[in-house]
Amino acid sequence: MHGWIGKILRVDLGTGKITTEALKPDLARDYIGARGLGTKYMYDEVDPTVDPLSPANKLIFASGPMTGTFAPSAGRYDVVTKGPLTGTIAASNSGGAWGPELKYAGYDMLILEGRAAKPVYLWIQDDKVEIRDAAHLWGKDVPETTEALNEETAADAKIACIGPAGEKLSYIASIMNDMQRAAGRTGVGAVMGSKNLKAVVVRGTGAVTVADKEAFLAAVAKASTMIKEHPVGGTGLRLYGTNVLVNILNSVGGLPTGNFQDGHFPTADKVGGETLAANQLQRPKGCFSCIISCGRATKVTNPKYKGEGEGPEYETAWGFGPDCRIDDLDAVIKANYYCNEYGLDTISMGGTVACAMELFHRGIITRDDTEGLELDFGNADAMVEAVRLTGLGQGFGKKLALGSYRLASLYGHPELSMTVKKQEMPAYDPRAVQGIGLNYATNNRGGCHVRGYTISPEVLGVPVKVDKDSIDGKAELVALFQNLTAALDSSGSCLFATFGIGAPEFAELMTALTGFAYTGDSFIEAGERIWNLERLWNLKAGLTAADDTLPPRLLNEPIVTGPSKGAVSRLPEMLPLYYGARGWDAQGVPTKEKLSALALA
Amino acid sequence: MKVSYFALLREATKKRSEIWERPAPTVRDLLRDLVAEYGPNFARWILKDGELAGFAIILVNGQDVRGLQGLDTPLTPDSDVFIFPPLAGG
Repeated sequence: MHGWIGKILRVDLGTGKITTEALKPDLARDYIGARGLGTKYMYDEVDPTVDPLSPANKLIFASGPMTGTFAPSAGRYDVVTKGPLTGTIAASNSGGAWGPELKYAGYDMLILEGRAAKPVYLWIQDDKVEIRDAAHLWGKDVPETTEALNEETAADAKIACIGPAGEKLSYIASIMNDMQRAAGRTGVGAVMGSKNLKAVVVRGTGAVTVADKEAFLAAVAKASTMIKEHPVGGTGLRLYGTNVLVNILNSVGGLPTGNFQDGHFPTADKVGGETLAANQLQRPKGCFSCIISCGRATKVTNPKYKGEGEGPEYETAWGFGPDCRIDDLDAVIKANYYCNEYGLDTISMGGTVACAMELFHRGIITRDDTEGLELDFGNADAMVEAVRLTGLGQGFGKKLALGSYRLASLYGHPELSMTVKKQEMPAYDPRAVQGIGLNYATNNRGGCHVRGYTISPEVLGVPVKVDKDSIDGKAELVALFQNLTAALDSSGSCLFATFGIGAPEFAELMTALTGFAYTGDSFIEAGERIWNLERLWNLKAGLTAADDTLPPRLLNEPIVTGPSKGAVSRLPEMLPLYYGARGWDAQGVPTKEKLSALALA
Repeated sequence: MKVSYFALLREATKKRSEIWERPAPTVRDLLRDLVAEYGPNFARWILKDGELAGFAIILVNGQDVRGLQGLDTPLTPDSDVFIFPPLAGG
């Protein structure tokens, strides 16, 4: 095989059995890799009703065919499992250099099964695979773990690990790789913790082969040029990072504020990308094979929040900033550093603190509940301390570690959790941008923006501008974006490559790389197949159309101030149209005809 | 009217915002004068061949002019104008 290595590594942590098996070419072609292929294996091997934190759940690290090649901005991998936060199929996507290293070691995927009797880590050196004792690492944070493992394995080994949050089974724990990159969403870090697996360390000396070298070189050159010359992909992201979005979302009235009580924050500029670039930014940083470099290497000198690390992304700056009514960027960055160090998803962490602040503000919880924390909106010190406690699983942090839905439910107010399928929504208000609300509601892993990023056409105007306030055509737009993203996630590409190239260019790259003839349409169809398979998994797990919704606040309470004042989400009008556009019945179940057309019947 | 600048346009203008006193009946008039004031580093992100460059974002009172009358969108002395170069994130 070309592009794919053609081999899967399977490790049973309970028995210690380590095996390899061949990847079937037709599965690779139809499900591409990473998110898609991982989901196919989960669907075939794991009961969707499984307890996510039981040994029967599997944890899959999966690269894509483009991962490890020099295709531009395409070095990513996915962690696929049943997510404890959502109960859905989870695929959490991360960059850095870990994914390519797995392929250089000779594997497209690593499937982890069972549960180790005591803390262990996995050390993969090409064909040599060892399960090693990790007692000395348990309790250490991500930088400490990474440094210790580089010391005792190889200095250039690539490391994916959990921090204390994953060890303590926080529902919002991430898996961190290359110290600063996160497979953040849906609580995948808790699954790793439940398996007593502290880290997966990889070093490879192999390579990825290419079916048609000349055609691949030409496709890479073309794609790279298109990304570099694109006004969006080529310049802005490198200079300002994703956090440049704070001001535009605030300016259109779509910046969720105070746990989504409002859509506009008057001092948002203080936590935006321009402020970051002028103050804390040290340099841009890119993942493997990236020509965009949106990552932010930053430093905070303010003694109260002193530190050095990476971030914030836009979602993070929003979550710890405007959603908590905080405009202190140093505090926001410190909270981000804690998340990276302890292994927490910044979006869910920010949304959970914001929810706790509303509970506190309304008097539903008091200082007795928070063990002394004055956790009200605008209190930056309390926000930072809440994140630290969550990471360490101490004090009120033990409750925050459950995520906002379970936290708010504990106190009888689940309606104050701004989640879809129990996962915190990101930084775009569905009342101000109609399509993104439909994407949140129907997303296969709950509140998530990156799997159907309609903000691009609805706000940014890329590739074309559509009316953010209209619901016309949004069902089809959301389905298309979800399908395309499922395919490109599965290829190993970064979503941001789409700020320059589209399905035809991905198809050219994939065809030259793998030797299978993809077209733009067949690439998107593979994404549709993956999306429907994820949907089937979720239905079997017990989710229904009733879960395809938004918090009642967004359907009933208009935005209070700013340019989108008065707006509510029109989800109930869009949802039936979306089911229709997808070829699903009125209950959101894929029809036999649709499944047959996608070779899923 | 108040005009606010973002990202690379803050570099070009050395300002976050300003009160623009000169008469500008439409967005086109305003941009023509801003280009004259701030030169090519401003113009390159906003205009191409006299029309709005692809992906530049101009908001008048929170509304994207691409959904209004484009460069012919009318302005008043009370208008609040936001100008963004092409940008993205996620």
